[in-house]
Amino acid sequence: MDRGVRPAHPAAAPARGSRRTPSGVRLALGPWLFVLPYLVTFVLFRFGPAVAGFLVSLTNWNLMSGSGRFVGVDNYARLATDPQFRQSLLQTLYFMALTVPALVILGLLLAVLVNQRLRGRSVVRTAIFMPYVVMSTVVGVIWLWMLNTDVGVFNYLLSLLGIHGIPWLSDPNAAMPAIALTTIWWTVGFNMIIFLAGLQDIPPELEEAARVDGAGTFTTFRSITLPLLRPVTFVVVMLTLINTFEVFDQIYVMTGGGPGLSTLTIIQFMYYEAFQFYHVGYASAVAYVVLAVLVVLALIQRRFLARGDLA
Amino acid sequence: MTDHSKTARTILWRTFLYLGLAAVTLVALFPLFWMVSSALRPEGQILAYPPRWLPATWTLENFAYILGRFAFARWWLNSIVAAGVSTALVLLLDSLAAYAFARLHFAGQRVLYLVVLSMLLVPIQVTIIPLYMLFAQVHLLDSLPAVLLPTTANVTGVFLLTQFFRNLPGELLDAARIDGASDLRIWWHIVLPLSRPVLSSVAIITVVSSWNSFLWPLLVAYSDASRTLPVGIAQFFGGESGVSGSAPQFGPAMAAACLATAPVIVAFLVLQRSFVRGVALSGLKG
Repeated sequence: MDRGVRPAHPAAAPARGSRRTPSGVRLALGPWLFVLPYLVTFVLFRFGPAVAGFLVSLTNWNLMSGSGRFVGVDNYARLATDPQFRQSLLQTLYFMALTVPALVILGLLLAVLVNQRLRGRSVVRTAIFMPYVVMSTVVGVIWLWMLNTDVGVFNYLLSLLGIHGIPWLSDPNAAMPAIALTTIWWTVGFNMIIFLAGLQDIPPELEEAARVDGAGTFTTFRSITLPLLRPVTFVVVMLTLINTFEVFDQIYVMTGGGPGLSTLTIIQFMYYEAFQFYHVGYASAVAYVVLAVLVVLALIQRRFLARGDLA
Repeated sequence: MTDHSKTARTILWRTFLYLGLAAVTLVALFPLFWMVSSALRPEGQILAYPPRWLPATWTLENFAYILGRFAFARWWLNSIVAAGVSTALVLLLDSLAAYAFARLHFAGQRVLYLVVLSMLLVPIQVTIIPLYMLFAQVHLLDSLPAVLLPTTANVTGVFLLTQFFRNLPGELLDAARIDGASDLRIWWHIVLPLSRPVLSSVAIITVVSSWNSFLWPLLVAYSDASRTLPVGIAQFFGGESGVSGSAPQFGPAMAAACLATAPVIVAFLVLQRSFVRGVALSGLKG
């Protein structure tokens, strides 16, 4: 996956008839005509906004009044002491703590399970992956219904175990775990698929050789399978960290950040600052803090994978 | 004796594994089953406690209700148009650009490609504020073009296609060039037909991410004329608002959920292989 990100060297190409041909002018322009249509949308809708966002973050622009002035790094300074921003950041980390380990470990266990030579395993793979293709807002609405305090099926099942009437989404302490549970159900299939691809790349002879040498299932898994899976595991961890850090949709549908502000996450904080209070300058600073975190994660990933190559 | 206990252990272990398979399948599918089962029962049975697994009487009244009371068909159509147009544009623009990046040479090519790839790091969440200001500036808010245009600045597609085009056999393209074919002809007649698998992956990724996309449409689609399914569902059936807010109406909400989910599930079941490959390639988030 990462190998691709590094620019492959343009295959030592002999004069593929660019400048030296008689119709040199046309050919030199030609490549640009291929890139140009894409480049227009790329600059307008991706690169431009990414750069503009930083400039906006240096102003106190108000979306409602349509005015503002340059304030330097004031927005960033304010963020550092804003208790609500701090709270949203901590709650995002809490959400990640609840989901990332579960998503990674469960993803791995499920991949190992559906990789066994068992009848019907492909049906099971399909079933586990299926929730992932469902849209976020539908996931939110389904779980909103299942987690309903009085008539939800989730509390009914719990009542069979003697646990009664947990107000999942209206109790500030229960809401985030409930959203985490929803998220795990929704996205664990994705991690399973990536792990499964990694497992299938391991030559079966290696594991068989270990078994012939008398190693048990668990020893084989721990000393052969897991080490060989390390690069894949790393990719899964990174992707899961990034995706959970950017969580928004299901929370918007299920609690809107509440009750109180107990499930407000960082992207939600940004969303409300920008589109409810119209503080787009301030909200842009939040966006850039988010981006900074993502860049740091990417740098860690590069370093780790580079070191892995050397080993 | 040892052989005997070994077989017994194997049988026990396999039984355990099969139980595991059954359990995870049940957990994975139950919420979807519950969505369908709830959508098909009358409102009275929705609120019955303890819940019954299947409706006592089956009904389509929830479906009739959402189709009659909301512009649901319109949201559906908007979602289809947005997904269709953005996918067509992405395939066209990305494959043209990828052809230039992979098989042509021009000044600044390397740098440009790196700049494009660097945007893989920047998620939509980071760019929505300036994007919103841009569309407000040109008075395109609350329109389908606003919903779908930003999706055409797709980086994953360019990346996947460029990688694939680079690995195409050079002799074939060179031969065509010697025969006097223009780059446009080579792109259309040779490169694209050879690239069906990766093109279908990119198409699937784009359709699904457009169909499921929420945050951006939430900002720029606020009337029925431009609202897409995820937005309509969140606004009318989500926790904060309207239908389920004061008096919960979960039946209609589940019917809406069924109608919004059915096309993706069907497409997924039919195209499973390319679906999984596409999604795994891109790390796409619903």
